[in-house]
Amino acid sequence: MRTLASVAVLLASLLVPAMAVEEAPVLAERVAAGKMPPQKERLPDEPRVTTVDEATQRTPGKPGGTIRMLMAEQNDLRMVTVYGYARLVGYDRSLELQPDILLSYENDRNRVFTLHLRPGHKWSDGSPFTAEDFRYQWEDVLVDKDMERGGLDPALYAGGEPPKFEVIDPLTVRYTWTAPNPLFLPALAGARPLDIYSASAYLKQFHAKYAEPKALEAAVAAEQVKNWQALQIRKGRSYRPENPDLPTLQPWVNLTRPPANRFVFERNPYYHKLDQNGVQLPYVDQLVINIAESSIIPAKTGSGESDLQERYLSFGDYTFLKEGEERNNYQVRLWTVGKGSAMAFFPNLNAADPGWRAVFRDARFRRALSMGIDRSQINQVLFSGMAQEGASTVLPGSPLYRDELGTAYATHDPDAANALLDEMGLKRGPDGKRRLPDGRPMDLIVESTGESSMEADVQELVASDWQKLGIKLLPRTSQRDIFRSRVAAGSTIMSVWAGVDNGAPTADFSPQEFVPTDPYQLQWPAWGNYMATNGKAGEKIDDPKVARLVELYQQWLAAEDDETKQAAWTEILDIHADQVYSIGIVTATLVPVVVSNKLKNVPEQGISSFDPYAYFGVYEMDAFWMDDAAAN
Amino acid sequence: MSLPTDASPLPHFVSDRPFDPEAVYQYTAAQKALFEASQLRLMWWKFRRHKPALISAVFLGVIYLTILVSEVLAPYNLHSRHTTHVYAPPQRVHIFHEGTLQAPFVYGFNYKLNMENLKREYVPDAAKIQPIRWFCRGDEYEFWGVFRSDWHVVCPAEGGTLFLLGTDRLGRDVLSRIIYGARISLTIGLLGVMVSLVLGIVIGGMAGYYGGLFDILSQRLIEVIQSIPSIPLWLALAAILPITWSPIVVYFGITVILGLLDWTGLARTVRSKLFALREEDYVSAAQVMGASSYRIVFRHLIPGFASHLIATATIAIPSMILGETTLSFLGLGLRAPITSWGVLLTEAQNINAVALYPWLLWPVLPVILVVLAFNFLGDGLRDAADPYK
Repeated sequence: MRTLASVAVLLASLLVPAMAVEEAPVLAERVAAGKMPPQKERLPDEPRVTTVDEATQRTPGKPGGTIRMLMAEQNDLRMVTVYGYARLVGYDRSLELQPDILLSYENDRNRVFTLHLRPGHKWSDGSPFTAEDFRYQWEDVLVDKDMERGGLDPALYAGGEPPKFEVIDPLTVRYTWTAPNPLFLPALAGARPLDIYSASAYLKQFHAKYAEPKALEAAVAAEQVKNWQALQIRKGRSYRPENPDLPTLQPWVNLTRPPANRFVFERNPYYHKLDQNGVQLPYVDQLVINIAESSIIPAKTGSGESDLQERYLSFGDYTFLKEGEERNNYQVRLWTVGKGSAMAFFPNLNAADPGWRAVFRDARFRRALSMGIDRSQINQVLFSGMAQEGASTVLPGSPLYRDELGTAYATHDPDAANALLDEMGLKRGPDGKRRLPDGRPMDLIVESTGESSMEADVQELVASDWQKLGIKLLPRTSQRDIFRSRVAAGSTIMSVWAGVDNGAPTADFSPQEFVPTDPYQLQWPAWGNYMATNGKAGEKIDDPKVARLVELYQQWLAAEDDETKQAAWTEILDIHADQVYSIGIVTATLVPVVVSNKLKNVPEQGISSFDPYAYFGVYEMDAFWMDDAAAN
Repeated sequence: MSLPTDASPLPHFVSDRPFDPEAVYQYTAAQKALFEASQLRLMWWKFRRHKPALISAVFLGVIYLTILVSEVLAPYNLHSRHTTHVYAPPQRVHIFHEGTLQAPFVYGFNYKLNMENLKREYVPDAAKIQPIRWFCRGDEYEFWGVFRSDWHVVCPAEGGTLFLLGTDRLGRDVLSRIIYGARISLTIGLLGVMVSLVLGIVIGGMAGYYGGLFDILSQRLIEVIQSIPSIPLWLALAAILPITWSPIVVYFGITVILGLLDWTGLARTVRSKLFALREEDYVSAAQVMGASSYRIVFRHLIPGFASHLIATATIAIPSMILGETTLSFLGLGLRAPITSWGVLLTEAQNINAVALYPWLLWPVLPVILVVLAFNFLGDGLRDAADPYK
């Protein structure tokens, strides 16, 4: 299947030179002035050809134009890398992996990955992109002792071992593990990609091994950083493109040196993609990112100051945005949020408080809490009834979804919930509040980051539902950093957050979000820490059901065929539905996406998710175009 | 003019009315009252002539009385939600229905979700006449957290609604929330002013009476505090308050912070007044008679300008109320579920409120009115403070 795909790409690319080459007007001027080689010399010998046609409701575009967007802070520059979505391998719309920057790749039983680069592929400054860029990143950055990095990314370990890296020839590199590593390719395709290559020709001037010591010292002093390692990291940030000098393979290149309130990104003249007519992508010449206070972004968007906006808009802004449609010549579309659950309650099975921990470990208690919530009321009040009520699991759009997963203990039944709590022996006191086994009243403190008013509103609604169960919910808000450290320390009893990030996985995606793997997992931080550190920290898992989840995850990691993966996923989701480790409220909520009427090829409907969709990334933002002829 | 015919006496040319040689020294009743009146009475007379101040005083008195009985005055409980009336606009009170006079009533709403722009549309339905009930039983509440009751001055019709200022995003009555919010917003000003009054009088009093090193140190401290821009300082201090504290403790912390920063101006005034007054003969007399410093300051000096202090304090209260509103508005002061006017305004702090749900901005009105009233009151008190002028 995959080799077939790469053959198709090969064939398509052979056809390209026959087609007429049309330069983007801005670049044609520079070529004419002799400042830049013509397109044919800038493109790889075999560019990637993407078909922009009716099959995906798109029309081939014309180069030119500017997309304006609004962001809240300089850190959001990373969204350009997310939206641009040029990856070694990337997902297409059906979430199949396709070689993108790579010409092709071979995957031998998830153990040996051989990556083939495109001959003649160049960085945005015109320097060649070769195996040396992989070697530099691996040997001189990732595993270099001098760089003092705290270990590799988890996706680079399989069976606890890092890979063997080889350069086969200037256009071929190979990563070899002894155990299967199914996480490697998805990590390369991630919204935040695994960095296994970098612009070595540029970055060597900031590396002690290659640089003149004097010049390096001067550079360290000029940037006011601690040492050259910090300088290397600062200059080499590819995910957050702050450094205008750093060459990139992404569709747009930053021209603005921070700090600034307006960032201009220009098309990468060496970008490796063409449409079927031989027009080099991206179609759009410039991205202009204006920085504004996040609370003011809906207002600015409504007054037509953004051509393409999803970030910092929420469902509640829809009516307001809709009113400005005619006046400001844009359209508001509703995309589906790709998270497993828009909001979920997480009882902490590792809570430091022994009374609550014991109660939470009882599945009956978790089920009772879930059944006590009137989800349809929350849906009506906060989402005008447009969301779907259900437990915290995968989204209905996922092939792994089954109806019984979404409805498990998710129907409002306070009588059944009370019966379960009575059965557990949790007696009510004279004030109607139930008592913990140690005699304390059930004052359930629920912590949240206080970032969204939706969290506070849902808590208020749930509080009155749970009052009928004899449990008093006390909301406590803090800030994200404090919240995370409290969770990791086990100080929280219950917390509020969204469900899994990747709400619509296929069996090829890792089920890690459903299994203790990370110390920041809200329902079992200590177990997650134990697994993440290979038993060096955290607590050993002493719950048979959760232990079974870990076992299934190991099976998925070692799986050689799709049936095993599918079976592992199915059982993991079944256990979650039965055990209610997190209490989901509503799923498939909607979020407005504002699109200028001039901007073409933006899907009418889509999934708004960071990973794996990278928001506009999987929908190929490099093929969006500005139609100046469109009605004003 | 003819002479009298007989020998009857001629009319006397001198008045025979009783003669009081001290009549010129006699006072009229009004004058007598004026001269015999106490200082307090004089101040009242003078204050009474300042109409805006008088009206403000009455207004504030009424508002402060309402916070004692918020539960009874509010048509709904603070926390009661109406999930079928989310973002409902204010209901108008009518007394005419199709030309006939009726007891005050409101028209019920017909609700429709506009699928085009997902706007919740409420249309008053002339068929749904909902007479307002008076002195009635409605939402249950805990009066001052002590006993339960459900008695209200005004309630919606049975099965009807009464949202005179509309509802918010969870369908809570805005008017009820404003009435409850007054309790926090108005008292936070008093607590803060207390702290600043005590600090101002004690530090200013000591500096003014003793002078010397203490005076120099305290004056430099005041200069430092006054030179710090207030909003960033509030933000920093509010950020210090541990996030784990309960909102009520945070509330107390904020009053103390506001008070701790606001005493400097008062201390200056007290000090300069004392500088002038301590040279007076009656102070020397007290000293000669062996009165202690404490007695001289608090018995002889402070009463000399107590009226002035009252006026200053009155003007300080609105700045405290505004301070609370500012901090809460910035998200650093009080937080839900505590309800103050600042918290209510924070919740209205987005473009949706301004563009689609303007009634969420109603809490601005009481803030403006109360601050204005305090300013007029302070003005009147200052005019009245020295009645002998």
